[in-house]
Amino acid sequence: MMSSTNTEQITIEEKPAEEKPAEEKPAAKPAAKPAAKPAAKPAAKPAAKPAAKPAAKPVELPEFEKNISDKIVEKFGDKIVVSFVKENRVGINVDKENVHDVARFIRDELNYDHVESVSGVDYPQDKEIEVVYHIGSYSDPSLASQLIVLATRAEREENPIPGKDATRLPTLRDIFYSVEFHEREVFEMFGVYFTGHPDNRRLLLPEDWADLPPLRKDFAIKGR
Amino acid sequence: MTNEFLPPGLALQKADEKIMTLNVGPQHPGSGHMRIIVQIDGDYIVACDPDPGYVHRGEEKMAEYRNYITNIPHLERPVIHDSCNVLYPYVLGVEDLLGIEVTERAKYVRVICSELNRCIYTMYWLAIYGIFLGHSTMFMWPAGDRELLIDLMEKISGARVTHAHFVPGGVRNDLPPNFEEVCLRQVNYFEKRIREYAAVFYDNPILISRTQDTGVLSREDAIRLGVTGSVLRASGVDYDLRKKEPYDVYEELDVHSNVMKEGDSYARSKIPWLDMLESCNIIKQALEKMPKSGSVRVKLKPNPKGKGLNSVYKRVESGRGSLGCHIVSDGKVEPYRLKLSVGSFRNLIALPYLLKGEKLGNMPSVYWSLNYWPVEADR
Amino acid sequence: MSVIAPDFKFSKFIQSLISDVVWFVLIFSLIGFPIIMMVLFFIPMPVIDGELLTPFLAFTYLADPTRTLPIVQSFMMTDMFKIMAFPGFGFAALLAAGTIFVERKMLAKLQLRVGPFYCGKFEGILQLMGDGLKLISKEIIIPAKADKPIFWAAPVLFVASAAAFVALIPVAPGWVVADVDMGLLAVFAVIGFFPIVTILSAWSANSKFPFIGGIRALFQMVSFEIPLILSLLGVVMVTGTLNLSEIAASQSSFPWILFLPVGAIVFFITMLAELERIPFDLPEAESEIVAGWLTELSGMMYGLVQLGTYLKLYAFAALFVVLFLGGWNGPQIVPQFPMEIVTNGLELGPVTAKIGGLEPLLTELITPEMINGVLMFVLKTVGVIFFILLPRGVFPRIRVDMLLNLGWHKLIGLAFVNIFIALALVYAGVLGPGGLQ
Repeated sequence: MMSSTNTEQITIEEKPAEEKPAEEKPAAKPAAKPAAKPAAKPAAKPAAKPAAKPAAKPVELPEFEKNISDKIVEKFGDKIVVSFVKENRVGINVDKENVHDVARFIRDELNYDHVESVSGVDYPQDKEIEVVYHIGSYSDPSLASQLIVLATRAEREENPIPGKDATRLPTLRDIFYSVEFHEREVFEMFGVYFTGHPDNRRLLLPEDWADLPPLRKDFAIKGR
Repeated sequence: MTNEFLPPGLALQKADEKIMTLNVGPQHPGSGHMRIIVQIDGDYIVACDPDPGYVHRGEEKMAEYRNYITNIPHLERPVIHDSCNVLYPYVLGVEDLLGIEVTERAKYVRVICSELNRCIYTMYWLAIYGIFLGHSTMFMWPAGDRELLIDLMEKISGARVTHAHFVPGGVRNDLPPNFEEVCLRQVNYFEKRIREYAAVFYDNPILISRTQDTGVLSREDAIRLGVTGSVLRASGVDYDLRKKEPYDVYEELDVHSNVMKEGDSYARSKIPWLDMLESCNIIKQALEKMPKSGSVRVKLKPNPKGKGLNSVYKRVESGRGSLGCHIVSDGKVEPYRLKLSVGSFRNLIALPYLLKGEKLGNMPSVYWSLNYWPVEADR
Repeated sequence: MSVIAPDFKFSKFIQSLISDVVWFVLIFSLIGFPIIMMVLFFIPMPVIDGELLTPFLAFTYLADPTRTLPIVQSFMMTDMFKIMAFPGFGFAALLAAGTIFVERKMLAKLQLRVGPFYCGKFEGILQLMGDGLKLISKEIIIPAKADKPIFWAAPVLFVASAAAFVALIPVAPGWVVADVDMGLLAVFAVIGFFPIVTILSAWSANSKFPFIGGIRALFQMVSFEIPLILSLLGVVMVTGTLNLSEIAASQSSFPWILFLPVGAIVFFITMLAELERIPFDLPEAESEIVAGWLTELSGMMYGLVQLGTYLKLYAFAALFVVLFLGGWNGPQIVPQFPMEIVTNGLELGPVTAKIGGLEPLLTELITPEMINGVLMFVLKTVGVIFFILLPRGVFPRIRVDMLLNLGWHKLIGLAFVNIFIALALVYAGVLGPGGLQ
């Protein structure tokens, strides 16, 4: 057992060197993207945010959803950025330092009680990986159709060593129990280690997987 | 990877003379395409560790390499029996990204397809639930009666299981001529048939004594674990997306969501059956209210693109509960990221929780009552 | 030119026939002939025409039916015939094969499907033979760390136990392999072998699922043996004998199920459990423990266990018939043989057709009473087997704790109720000496 894990570790360290040529393809994608990106969604960059916000403001925002976002803004002020307010959806961007507090506030004060989905999104051009929590509520009937889209970003390393590098986020499992398997999946698919998660193990991938986390953009499907 | 990140089976476990570790699956008649590692002390399960992933196909990664239209046939693969419902959130999401409004008739056709598919899936699920409990008649009957609805779906879409019928902008084809009468006749007979299941299965004293009060999931725990669909409703939480967040024309239909208070295996196995009866009801309503003619498909420009960096999360009520699709678009013909948040994956978290302290004999009934479809959970 | 056999040539066909005949004659004279001679030495030969038939003479008489039938008759009276063919193994195996066919077709009809259909032209009647051939031709895989001698022996022991059980069943008056005075006790003793064989097989396989299945089977059989034995005591009390033939004979006017229905119900339920039939098929619960104690058995080892299981099924059904349904007793529906034709021969005008040696066979061995008894016995047994098969289409499997609870609490209590009923009947004088019988 120990010997096999050692070899796995070695292959992990070697892989990125071999994969270097493959990264050219994902690099081609971001080249087209920055043109569209900063205008539409500046994500977690507060500096660009006020410019985009007023552009979206004139469109009338749904009342109820606006209320929810206002409550969060009132509590956290500059620490968060409301990325969008749509029908039934409120998007919140937050730094990884504050994600824990915001999630706790959402659960305790706003009556949201479970996480529907945790999806990671890789942004190689920003050197960041975004993790998006879709938080919903069963216990409050008025919030039944509402979802808070809580997005936070982790540092992205070019040569990932899952679990050992700086790609880390605080876990939300102590706040929302339901993220347990979702965060495990994000860990294996993106290499985002969730600090404080009690069970950071592989879930779906094969046992002998010793390659890049597969949903990162620099992991290319063969033949494509 | 160090030892701590290894999957369940490879991590060294502390040996204990009293405790036996059983690998239930992946080659096991009672596991489906997954492995459940159970540790038993006598007849009692002391720990359970689900190990999915044996049918992981990377649908999400594949979706990043195909455009919005060619994604349709492969995104329905996770649950081919429920393929319309798996595609539904994706199609709704793409329509939202492109800003398309679908015609009224297309919406009704979608609802009919979706409900038919829910029944087809649930019958399959019920068949396996029957055989897991050693009730072979309950395996054969649903597996045979499914054919009624499969034939209907074949008439609609041309394919028996993988329909690929929903497209952004409506449905692929209009209903065949004379469909309404055939559908009404088949669905009426189907409803009569599944009512007979109560006599042989749901009212069976052995089944009741075997599944009642086993694997009880309380209302609080169901909310905390974030389970969905029939598992949630069996625990007394009235949460059906067809009512709570109506998509397409569910607002105009009279949908009744079935809720039971007990939260045990029996309630969890009965809710899908009640849902099938409700689906028959919805189909009949939809057939009545549907516009008798009209277009069913808004023509799209070739290679549709999303507008800039944008993200959308749409969800529908599938046979296994809420099924969400998170699409991040960067203004290209392919999605930048596509995430399917599926009911099976969300219900899986309840398995170790429920099996702890149960008897080994309850494992199949508790496991399959979670309305879990291994292929969908792995994606 | 035929489509089916395009290379058919009549000359080749004749050639193959001739070669077959030559080979048959060669093999028969080298092997078959000596074997027949050896067998004949062990059969007590009849006296024909005042002359004791010797094996050498037997062959000279082969051509003469008047001297052939006595040989057949004397062969049928040997123990070997009884063990191998009629009341013993062959008869039971035939009924078991019929049971498997009926089970498949009946279950299929119950579940709205067809069942075996193609093998053997008519309704898949040869399906079982096909399955048997498949099992024989399959490789037998032994787990690497199994205790091989015991693992090999277990299926054989299982069939042997089942066959021993079959040997105790009286089919018609006088037709029983082992007519033991303590017949019922012998039955209990033989039933006691099954859990031992099961746990031996399960333990020697050295695998987890067989182990759990074996333990479950042990639990189940041991806990259900006690109500089984107790439920039969009522019958013993009212008849005052343990001999199965006498118990069957004592029910000439009415079967005991009329007086002891509680015992019959308890025995039927324990029978289902002993046979590991649904709803008590926990030792083979596939969704929990794969195939239970059969998991590691492969090829004909599995086939042997299945054969043993169905022999056991027949034996239990037959035991139920003997103890509660009156065995071979029943209305005489088989007509008397026209003996004048047998003795005088059939006169067709000038010709008289007469088979010599038929008369003693029909008066001493195969009497109308015997045929009627066998017919009644088979009809009743098939009925009981039908009721054993029926729950499979209706019930799901139950759980171990429910099973043990049922066995230890409810069935034992009911068995005692049955004993009290029997005692009351005997002491009140309804049955027993001075009573109805």
